[in-house]
Amino acid sequence: MRLMLPQRHRLSRCCGLNLLNLNLLNRLNFNFSTHHHMTYVKPSFRHPELPKNDLGFTKKDYEGAISTLCGGCGHDSISGAITQACFEMAIAPHRLAKLSGIGCSSKTPTYFLGNSHGFNSVHGRMPSVATGANLANRDLIYLGVSGDGDTASIGMGQFVHAVRRNLNVVYIVMNNGCYGLTKGQDSATADVGSVSKNGINSFNAIDLPALALELGATFVARSFSGDRTQLIPLIKAAVSHHGFALIDVISPCVTFNNNTGSTKSYDYVREHITTADVVDYVPPGEEITMEYAEGSSAELTLHDGSMLQLHKLAPNWDPRDKLAAMQRIYLSRVKQEILTGLLYIDPDTQDLHDILNTVDKPLNELREEDLCPGSGALEEINQSLR
Amino acid sequence: MRPTDITDPEYFHKVVDCQYACPAHTPVPEYIRLIAAERYTEAYMVNWESNVFPGVLGRTCDRPCEPACRRGRVDEEPVAICRLKRVAADNKGDISDWLPEIPLIKNGKKIALIGGGPASLTVARDLAPLGYEIHLYDEQIAGGGMMRSQIPSFRLPESVLNEEVNYILDMGIHTHFKTYVSSLREVLNQGYDAVFVGTGAPKGRDLNIPGREEGKANIHIGIEWLASVAFEHTNKIGKNVIVLGGGNTAMDCCRTSRRLGGDHVKVVVRSPFSEMKASPWEKEDAQHEDIPILDNHVPKEFVVENGRLVGMRFEKVKAVYDEKGKRSLVPTGEPLVYIEADDVLIAIGQENTFPWIERDLGLQFDNWNMPVVSKKTFQSTLDQVFFGGDAAFGPENVITAVAHGHHAAVSIDLFCQGKDVQVRPSPLTNLVSQKMGIHEWIYDSEVVNDDRYKVPHAEKQKTLRDRKVEVELGFDKGLGFKEAQRCLNCDAQTVFYTNRCIECDACVDICPTSCITFTTNGEEDDLRTRLNAPAHNLSQDLYVSDVLPATQRVMVKDEDVCLHCGLCAERCPTAAWDMQKFLYSTSKASNVCGVLQL
Amino acid sequence: MIDLDLGMNEHLSPPLKWDDNRKYDPGKVYDAEDLENMAQFGRYLDSDGDGITYRTIPGTHPTKGSFFTRGTSRDEYARYTEDGAVYVRNMNRLLKKWDTAKEIIPQPELYQDGNQHKEGIIFFGTTTYSALEALDLLKEEGIEMDAMRLLSFPFSKKVEDFVNGHERIYVIEQNRDAQMRSLLINELEVDPKKMIRILNFDGMPITAAYISEQIKEKMVVDKVE
Repeated sequence: MRLMLPQRHRLSRCCGLNLLNLNLLNRLNFNFSTHHHMTYVKPSFRHPELPKNDLGFTKKDYEGAISTLCGGCGHDSISGAITQACFEMAIAPHRLAKLSGIGCSSKTPTYFLGNSHGFNSVHGRMPSVATGANLANRDLIYLGVSGDGDTASIGMGQFVHAVRRNLNVVYIVMNNGCYGLTKGQDSATADVGSVSKNGINSFNAIDLPALALELGATFVARSFSGDRTQLIPLIKAAVSHHGFALIDVISPCVTFNNNTGSTKSYDYVREHITTADVVDYVPPGEEITMEYAEGSSAELTLHDGSMLQLHKLAPNWDPRDKLAAMQRIYLSRVKQEILTGLLYIDPDTQDLHDILNTVDKPLNELREEDLCPGSGALEEINQSLR
Repeated sequence: MRPTDITDPEYFHKVVDCQYACPAHTPVPEYIRLIAAERYTEAYMVNWESNVFPGVLGRTCDRPCEPACRRGRVDEEPVAICRLKRVAADNKGDISDWLPEIPLIKNGKKIALIGGGPASLTVARDLAPLGYEIHLYDEQIAGGGMMRSQIPSFRLPESVLNEEVNYILDMGIHTHFKTYVSSLREVLNQGYDAVFVGTGAPKGRDLNIPGREEGKANIHIGIEWLASVAFEHTNKIGKNVIVLGGGNTAMDCCRTSRRLGGDHVKVVVRSPFSEMKASPWEKEDAQHEDIPILDNHVPKEFVVENGRLVGMRFEKVKAVYDEKGKRSLVPTGEPLVYIEADDVLIAIGQENTFPWIERDLGLQFDNWNMPVVSKKTFQSTLDQVFFGGDAAFGPENVITAVAHGHHAAVSIDLFCQGKDVQVRPSPLTNLVSQKMGIHEWIYDSEVVNDDRYKVPHAEKQKTLRDRKVEVELGFDKGLGFKEAQRCLNCDAQTVFYTNRCIECDACVDICPTSCITFTTNGEEDDLRTRLNAPAHNLSQDLYVSDVLPATQRVMVKDEDVCLHCGLCAERCPTAAWDMQKFLYSTSKASNVCGVLQL
Repeated sequence: MIDLDLGMNEHLSPPLKWDDNRKYDPGKVYDAEDLENMAQFGRYLDSDGDGITYRTIPGTHPTKGSFFTRGTSRDEYARYTEDGAVYVRNMNRLLKKWDTAKEIIPQPELYQDGNQHKEGIIFFGTTTYSALEALDLLKEEGIEMDAMRLLSFPFSKKVEDFVNGHERIYVIEQNRDAQMRSLLINELEVDPKKMIRILNFDGMPITAAYISEQIKEKMVVDKVE
C-alpha cells in the first residue's frame, strides 16, 4: 500500500545527483526493518487527564491484559463495556470475582478487571464454581462470563440450575452463534438457516432469554456488542439486581461468522435490531434527571437502592410482566427482529441465600467458635440416637 | 466538523510535533530510528540535509523540538532529541559519498554572502550544488560566525565546528576572511546577481549606570569578551567576577570565567530565577560549576576606587504581576547589596547594527532601524538583497538562522532564474504504509517506559582547568539506542479509511490513551466535550472521518496524546486503520543529498 | 465391600468423637495484614521453600491478594504467560510440593516393631479386616510375615523402608490390574518380581480365606521354581 500525496515537487536542476539518489534510495528502503514483532504489550501510558471515580481510580485500574482474540471480535467490545461500567459504578476491584468456562468468551476475563479475582473454570462448569463462590461469600459481586457453546451446549445442565436457584450473579453470554475457538462450527444459538463459513445451519436455535424466562429468571436482557450505550447501563443494572441476571449479548465473530447470510454479523444485527426499552441507570443516592412523556417510562428501585428508568416502552407495558415479555420475544422472532433491551425484571426476589436462609455473615468468615459446638454437643447427639 | 483533509501535507506535519516545532523542520523521528538501527551516517545526513550543522546543533541547539515533544505530554520528560543528534554526528562514518557534487561548469550567476555565520553558510550549502559562484565575506579569520566567536569550546569543540563549516566551504566557496565589508554600495557595484546579508546581531548591549566610564578597564561586553577568548586575545580574568544577565550568553560568560581564573564567579540577574531567558540545562550546568545565580538584583552602580573597579551595588526587587500578567520589578526597600568584583561581564542582550549599509540605496529601514524584510521570501526592498539569521529580524538562534538560510536560498535561486519569489515550491512529502504482516510494522511500535537518560559529563576538576575540554561526553551507542527507543515515532501516522470501518470498536477499546471516539458529528467546541477522554489541548487537531453509513456517526481522533503505538491498526479487522510513515521535507533550493527520498 | 453391600445394608459404627483440642486449620492463607506488609503477593510463589504456596480469600485486601485461577500457563504471580522457563519452574515447584506432602499426609499403619520377617503383605481400605484375619490364619499354619496398611499416596519414607526391607511382598487389592502394586513399583523403583499380586475382582468382598489360600499358592509356585 503506497499513498502518494499529490504535491510532489523537485527542482529540475538537481545537479546530477540521480545516481547517488538511487544508491541512497536502495539503502534507505530497508529503513529500520531490523526489529519488528507483534505487539502483545499495551503501552502503560494513559491519557494524563483521565477522570477518576468515587474511589479515586481511573479506568486503567479496571483494565486487564491485552486481548489475544481476533481484532474486531465483539467480545472485546463487551470487555470494554464491562470495564467502563465497573469504573463508573466505582466498584472496588477486589470485591468482584469474574468467573468463566471455556471458549473465546471465557478467555475474556483476562482482558478486563485485572485487579479482581478470576476463575477460569472447566468447560460449561462456571455456574457451579460461581455457586460455590457465592455460597462461600455472599458479599462479593460475581460476574460470570460464558459463551453460546459454554452455556447452550456443554454447560446447559449447569446453566439451567443456576437460573432456577436464582443465584446472585451477573451472567453474560457472549453470543456469536459459533465455536470460534475451534474453527467456527455452528453453535446451539445459531439461527436455523443462518450461513456461516461452514455452511447453512439446519437446527433450531436455543433462545437463551426465552429459556431463562421459562426457568424463572428474575432479570433477562439482550444486547449487542456494537451498542455500548445500551450495554453499559444494562451491565450496571444487572450488577445491582439481587438474583440471577442474564445478559445475552450478540457478539459478532469477525473471523467465522461475519459473512453475508449470517444472522450474527455486524451488518445483519444493525439492520434487524429493535429496542424494547432504553435503560437509564441511576446510582444509589442520585436523582433521576431524565424526563419522559407521561406513560412512556417506568421507574424501578433495585435491591441496592439504585433506580432504573426504562423508556420507549410499548403503551401500558410493564417490564415486570413475564407473559408480555415472552410474547414480545416470540413476536420479534417471527418478525425476524433482534429484540434488545431489558426484557424482564423482578426487582424484589429471593436469591439462593435468601431461599436457603443462610446467615448474613459470609460463610467463609465464620470461625471455629461460630461453627464448632464441641464434644459435649456431639455427645448429646450420640445420646439422642441411642 | 468537516472531514479532515489528510492530503494537505500540513495536517500530518503538525502531528509530528518535534519536526513542526523545529524552525528547519528536521525529520526528527526519521533520524532517531536510524540511530536505533545504528545507521549513524544516514541519521547524520538526514540532519545535515535539513539543519546543516548536526554536530554543532547536537551540542548547542536551543532545542525548540523538546518542549514540543509528544512524549513530554504523557511522560515526565521529552525525548533527548538534541543529544541524539550528537550521537549521529559522533558515530557517523565517512560522509563524502553522500555530499552533493559541485558542478565544474557554473551557471553564470554570482552571489555575495556578507557574514560567515550559520545563515550565510546555509545559503552557500543550498546554492553551490546548483552551480552558483559564491563569495563569502567575513571579518574573522574563519567561518562560523557566532558559532565560533560566542559558543565556548567546552560546549563546542573547534574541530566539530571546523568540520561542518568546511563541508560547505569545500564546495568551492570563494572565501574572503579578515575582510570587513564597510559598504553595501561597493558590494553591489561588483556585479553580484544577488547579495545575502547574514551579519547577525553583532552588538552587545551596554549598561550605562554610574561608574561605567571610570571602571571601563575591567567592564566588558559579554559577546565581545567571548570572541576575544575564542580568538585567544584574552586568556585570563580576575578572581572575583560578576556576570550581568540571565540568558545563555551570560551562562557562557560565567562558565568561561571559571576557566580563566575566576574563582568566585556570580551571575546577577534582574528577573526571578524561573523567568531567566537561559535554557534550564545551561543554568544547571553553571550551578554545577559552583556559580551562584542571584536573581531579583537590579544593577545600580559600578563601584570604582582609586581608578579601579572593586565591585557593584544592586537593588533588591521582587516581581509583581498585574491582572494582565504583565511583570514589573518593584524594589523591596532593603539596603543596596554590594558585591565585590575584579571584572564585570555585561551579557544583557544583543542588537543589530548596520552602519555599513548606506541608507540611499533603496533598501528601506523601519522605525527600529531594522531593514524591511519579507518573512516569507527574506527579500529586502532592494530586490537583489536578501537577509537571514539574526540580521533579518533580530537575535534568535542557530537553528532559526539555518531555516532562514534555506528560505533565502530558495528566493535567491528563483530570483536569479527570473522567477517570482512569491511562488514557493511545495514541500516534499510522502506517506507510506508501514505494514509488514497482519500484526507487524516496519517501525518498532513498542512504547518503552524508560525515563530520559542523562548525558554523562567529564569530571569537573578536569574541565575547569582547560576551557577547551568538552564538558558533555555525549551518549555512547548503548545509551543512544535506549534514548532513541523512547521516541514515539509520531511520523508513523494513523490513517483512517472510512469505507472499510465496520464500527466494531476494537480501536476504541485498545487505544491506551483513549484517543478514539465514534460519535455523532458536531462543531469542534462541542465535539471536544463528547470524546472518550478530555481534549483540552487546543493546539492539537481533531482528526474527523467522513460519516459512517451504518450508524451515521463519525470517527474522531484527538491527536494530542496518541502514542503512535499502532494498536488501533493492529486490532482493526478490516485495515480501516493503517500506520503510514509521513515524510516531510521543506522545500530547499537544491535537493542536496536525497537522503529522504523513498 | 461392594457398592450393593455398602448401599443396601446398615452398618453400625462406634460413636463419633470430637477432640476439643483439635483446631480448624485453613492451611497457608494470608490475611489483610500479611498482604499489607508485603511488596507483592504471588499466588504460586514458593515463599518458604516447601513447594506449598500461600493463598488468599477473595476480597481480603483492596490492592493485593487478587489472583486469576486458570491452568498452568501462568507465572508465580498468576499472570498469564507462555514462557517455557516459567512453566518448568512451576512444574518443579509442584514436584517439591509433592515431596513435602509425602511426610505430612497420614502415615502407614504397621503391625509389628521393625521388620521381623523376610516376607510382608501390603493392603489398604476395606481389605484391611480380611487381610488381618488372613494373617491370623497363616500364623496358625506356622507362616508368619510382616504387614502394612497403606493410608495415603504419595508414599512416605516408611512405606519405602517397609518395601525395601522385605524379600517378597504380597500386595492385596481388589482390581484386575494390580494398580497399587504398579504404583509401588513405579514410585519406589523396586524389582517387580518381588511384588506378588493377590487380586480379587469377582464382584464379591475379599475374604480372609481367599487371601491366605492365594498367598500359600504363590509361595508354593515360587518354591517349585
